[in-house]
Amino acid sequence: MSHASVPILKVEHLSYRYPTGQTALTDVSFLVGMHEVVGLVGPNGAGKTTLLLHLNGLLTGVRAATPGPATSPEPAHAVEVLGMQVVPANFPEIRRIVGFLFQDPDDQLFCPTVGDDVAFGPLNLGFPRDEVRSRVSRTLEAVGLTGFENRVPQQLSFGERRRVCLAGVLACEPDLLALDEPSSNLDPRSRRRLIDILKACQAAQVVASHDLELILELCGRVIVLDQGRIQADGPTRDLLSNERLMRSHGLEVPLSIQYGLEAGVRPVSDP
Amino acid sequence: MAVDFLDRYSRGSTWCHRWPARLKIVLTLAVIVAVVLLPISLWPIHGCLACLIFAAHAVADIPLSYLLRRVALLLPVVLLMALCVPLSRGFSGGWELASALVARALLTFLAALWLVNTTPFDRLLAAFRQLGMPRSFVVLLAFTYRYLFVVFDELARMRTAQRARTFGRRSPWAVWNSTVQLVAMLLIRSLNRSERVHQAMLSRGWQGEFRTID
Repeated sequence: MSHASVPILKVEHLSYRYPTGQTALTDVSFLVGMHEVVGLVGPNGAGKTTLLLHLNGLLTGVRAATPGPATSPEPAHAVEVLGMQVVPANFPEIRRIVGFLFQDPDDQLFCPTVGDDVAFGPLNLGFPRDEVRSRVSRTLEAVGLTGFENRVPQQLSFGERRRVCLAGVLACEPDLLALDEPSSNLDPRSRRRLIDILKACQAAQVVASHDLELILELCGRVIVLDQGRIQADGPTRDLLSNERLMRSHGLEVPLSIQYGLEAGVRPVSDP
Repeated sequence: MAVDFLDRYSRGSTWCHRWPARLKIVLTLAVIVAVVLLPISLWPIHGCLACLIFAAHAVADIPLSYLLRRVALLLPVVLLMALCVPLSRGFSGGWELASALVARALLTFLAALWLVNTTPFDRLLAAFRQLGMPRSFVVLLAFTYRYLFVVFDELARMRTAQRARTFGRRSPWAVWNSTVQLVAMLLIRSLNRSERVHQAMLSRGWQGEFRTID
């Protein structure tokens, strides 16, 4: 852990098995500091989404017994958010703190209009109507969709729907964002917009993605997950430029590193 | 069949479209109740109501061809039901009742069709809420409408994928088989999706009570 003072998220010895008996996560431990942005990379089926679903209690794994002979049962809770155990009693508070962006906007965009949808979270948090309205217009502005309140989801483009989802999450003013493939299926312009929005966001973030360029740009630190285990955890540039590590886990060194195009060093462009 | 088949003309801009949604709901309900409750012996009144309904459609710029196609989908069901009346009397009577059934079904259907084709659905929902419809019922309608589009989209994609791998003519049996598979697949996908939608609701603080901004 480099610059984390108080961890917003603490995952210790988390293990999870699907109801089918298949092991999804094995002994996963890591901390996320306040305002820290952590990437989560790994091949398909590595357990990235499963891990994210634990951050706000949508799935509840068990705390694996610590190495050595199993003596007394450990406390059952492997995930803590701001020092709170992720247990049903804490769900309302934890789900305010942790904002979750799902991969498919249609799963998350279930209200008749954009305005209703963005208001869904703040209304559930019990804010007065005026505060909800101002949050809706503020967050829609933040994602570049000012005045979209009365639009209906089926008339929006995919990129717009993804941004409405993000607005719906940001409207709860979360301190930790769990982002599942935020850039998937986006065209370059929508992707760039999304990256800019996330960069401007103050909340700590856990970003699961196959888009390694995005990870490189957003995240100071990255966790490599494969077969349900953490394979590496460290500074993004160091890990992503390690060709052997990348290859052995179904990834590859991002082109910008391969060709030395670091942030700030742009490809040749007209002045 | 595109999914906007349901309410293709709801976002028009005619005189009818600009009426307040609540007024349209009340009017439509009044017409439906009148059609259903008035005895069929007062058929001139039914005739007048039919004229009124068709006139309303005309004013709202809803083409007759659209109405006919919608009615064509409903008619087989209604006719079958109506036929049961004379059937139960050995075809010795009951034709009046049967024709009354058909007339009432068609008129109420057309009246409702006018309502959804002159008012965007989200505004219709808001109006229902203002008129005191139970919240859970409004939410149910809202979800049904919202995910109709998503599921239709999914169905269209699955059919395209199926066609892309279908070569030449196929026997009716094969067509039947693949359709059954398609429907089964769609059900499973929808079930999985409902699970994810529920997770997304929980993630944003859903605790079992639907709240709205107004």
